[in-house]
Amino acid sequence: MDILKVCSVTKAYNNHVALDNVLLNVKKGEIFGLLGPNGAGKTTLIRMINQITAPDSGEILLNNHRLNKTDTDIIGYLPEERGLYRKMKAGEQAIYLAELKGLSPRVAEKRLRQWFEKFDIANWWDRKVEELSKGMQQKIQFITTVLHEPQLLIFDEPFSGFDPINVELLKTEILNLKAKGATIIFSTHNMASVEEICDTIALINKSKKVLDGAVKEIKQRFKNNEYEIVVPVGNNIESLMVDGCEVISKEDNGEMETAVLTIERGRNAALLSNILLKTDIISYKEVLPSMNDIFIKTIRDYE
Amino acid sequence: MNKIKIIIRREYLSRIKKKSFLVMTILGPVLISALWLIPFLLSQTTDSKSNFIIVDETAEHQPNAEPLFKDKLKNSAEVNLTYSDDLEKAQTMLREGLCDAVLEIVGANAMPPVKSFWFFGKSEPSLTARQSIENQLTALYKDYYLKSNCGVSEKDIAFINNPKIDFYSKNIITGEESYPEIKMGLGMVAGLFIYFFILFFGSQIMRSVSEEKMSRVVEVLVSSVKPVQLLLGKLIGVALVGLTQFLLWTVLTFAVITTIQSTSSEQFAKPQTNNVVVNERIVSAETYQQAADAQPATEIIQGLFSINYGVIIGMFLFYFITGYFLYASLFGAVGSLIDVDTDAQQFSLPVTIPLIIGIVCLSMVINNPSGPVAFWLSIIPLTSPVIMMVRIPFGVPWWEIALSAGLMLITIWGSILLTAKIYRTAILLYGKKITYKEIWKWLKYKN
Repeated sequence: MDILKVCSVTKAYNNHVALDNVLLNVKKGEIFGLLGPNGAGKTTLIRMINQITAPDSGEILLNNHRLNKTDTDIIGYLPEERGLYRKMKAGEQAIYLAELKGLSPRVAEKRLRQWFEKFDIANWWDRKVEELSKGMQQKIQFITTVLHEPQLLIFDEPFSGFDPINVELLKTEILNLKAKGATIIFSTHNMASVEEICDTIALINKSKKVLDGAVKEIKQRFKNNEYEIVVPVGNNIESLMVDGCEVISKEDNGEMETAVLTIERGRNAALLSNILLKTDIISYKEVLPSMNDIFIKTIRDYE
Repeated sequence: MNKIKIIIRREYLSRIKKKSFLVMTILGPVLISALWLIPFLLSQTTDSKSNFIIVDETAEHQPNAEPLFKDKLKNSAEVNLTYSDDLEKAQTMLREGLCDAVLEIVGANAMPPVKSFWFFGKSEPSLTARQSIENQLTALYKDYYLKSNCGVSEKDIAFINNPKIDFYSKNIITGEESYPEIKMGLGMVAGLFIYFFILFFGSQIMRSVSEEKMSRVVEVLVSSVKPVQLLLGKLIGVALVGLTQFLLWTVLTFAVITTIQSTSSEQFAKPQTNNVVVNERIVSAETYQQAADAQPATEIIQGLFSINYGVIIGMFLFYFITGYFLYASLFGAVGSLIDVDTDAQQFSLPVTIPLIIGIVCLSMVINNPSGPVAFWLSIIPLTSPVIMMVRIPFGVPWWEIALSAGLMLITIWGSILLTAKIYRTAILLYGKKITYKEIWKWLKYKN
């Protein structure tokens, strides 16, 4: 079931089109990666889902109804441009932001105390935000985003500004939220994290959607019959090739030879049996393209 | 609606809790009380007097003649006069610092018939002291001339010397005496107060909006509430801060003044109308003199008691609030245009200019509170809060007040709409230089 449907949304500013007839479906409970180069229109789309701006044409459906005023309470948004009131105390501020999302101060405080414990920042409750380190401010902002336990979470570059340890902490929390049933839209340039946590992605380029689908399915779609084979050292791998196979690159670390090959469909068995006649195979696997490669390829092809 | 309340509460409480609010709250009544008490206190202070030595040489070239001015000049509040015949001795005293100035008066056989020369030590005698002596010399010479050359009797001279005709005004409907000077002062104070209030709290709105934009917290806020709600919450929250401050000031000022009055009650007692019976057609020289001699402060106090404060306070609150909303919303628009590296001046100046125009024209309005300048400036909403307040103590026809108030309300509605249009676009434009041309385009957007 789709929690969010973006139906043919178009938005133009003064003299440039930010989104051009964009169509997206986000399934309930998945982590949806919204990808695209800078200025592609991701932020515009996110702002529309948050009802900060409205589409010129098309519509956005949340839980199968048009976005309305009360929907802001079931969405949590972590903008790319982070920011809190500098002069306000951390705890007080988080409660205020939660109240604006419709939470009662009492419930907000109770949940907040738990989160502060979890993130190990409990003794910063009464500190002004400007006294906190950037990482801590980020943690607080993350907490304020999820505190009202929204059905739909939108994270715009959530990992920027975090050290590796906190990135792990955050990833765990995001996966926890997913496990609890939240749907997460995840906008980023960091393709490694996309592979790690996204179920589905959509790639937007120059205001148009150019690619979407489940991550696994897309990888299958983009695979180009590449395989990696590892054999003991001393075998000239080129000499073991059969028709329809080609070595793209190889590397030798003194013990093993690792090579990347392209193998035409249906030639796997012939190649492997040919190799096995001469030597052992330490490992053999299909190489799927990384999201990074797919990203770059799609954008390049589009241009 | 509920979310606006949450915003109002934060805007209100975060300001009330600040130290600067406390300081202002305490300082305000002290200043206002001082303003109110100064007339009382002034009437009782005695300044340190200047000592002048007069060397009257008008008799020098006419044997047997009396010096014209010796022993005839009056000491004033600031000046103590002594006389000497020896200029050099007087000058020596001046050099030694035994007096503050020496005035040499020399007779001449030309016009002007008398010349005088000032010698001074550390500092020049004050203009008022010099003027008072100059006036006295002129008057004495006139008396002398009338007496010796025209043969006018002393009684006639005394009468001639009292020609100043005073105006007393009285409202034909209420029968109350009017004190234009007091009204002038009151209007000025009220007008200036509104001016400072608007500027102070208006710029707070501006700063607060631009802080939210620059710290980027605004993006989180507008994902929870509508930009208009955020703006309105801010405007109302700060307005309540202003009203709280004003209320505290009024209460505290009243408390301070009452305490001071009760501790020294006879000094501040409401003076009886003891000096001049105004509606008496003929005011004799004696009563006139009596009035002139009376402490000037008593008249001020009488004036202060004569004002109809109900209307003034009512209108004051109206213009205080509406003027604030008009300017604060405009300042809010300005605040949303400011980013880290933009110059606030280029956008805030157009908003402050009408306020400054009002202040510049203040004296013109006071000189003629029902003239065309006063009329138009008190009708045009951008200047009316200040100017109308200046006019109100003098009495303004009801239709003018109604027109001014009506226009004001319409303009506030318009300015909040206009601000909302600018605000909701500008707060999310980071690091982009905004031009007036662009703002114009936003205003033309439909939605």
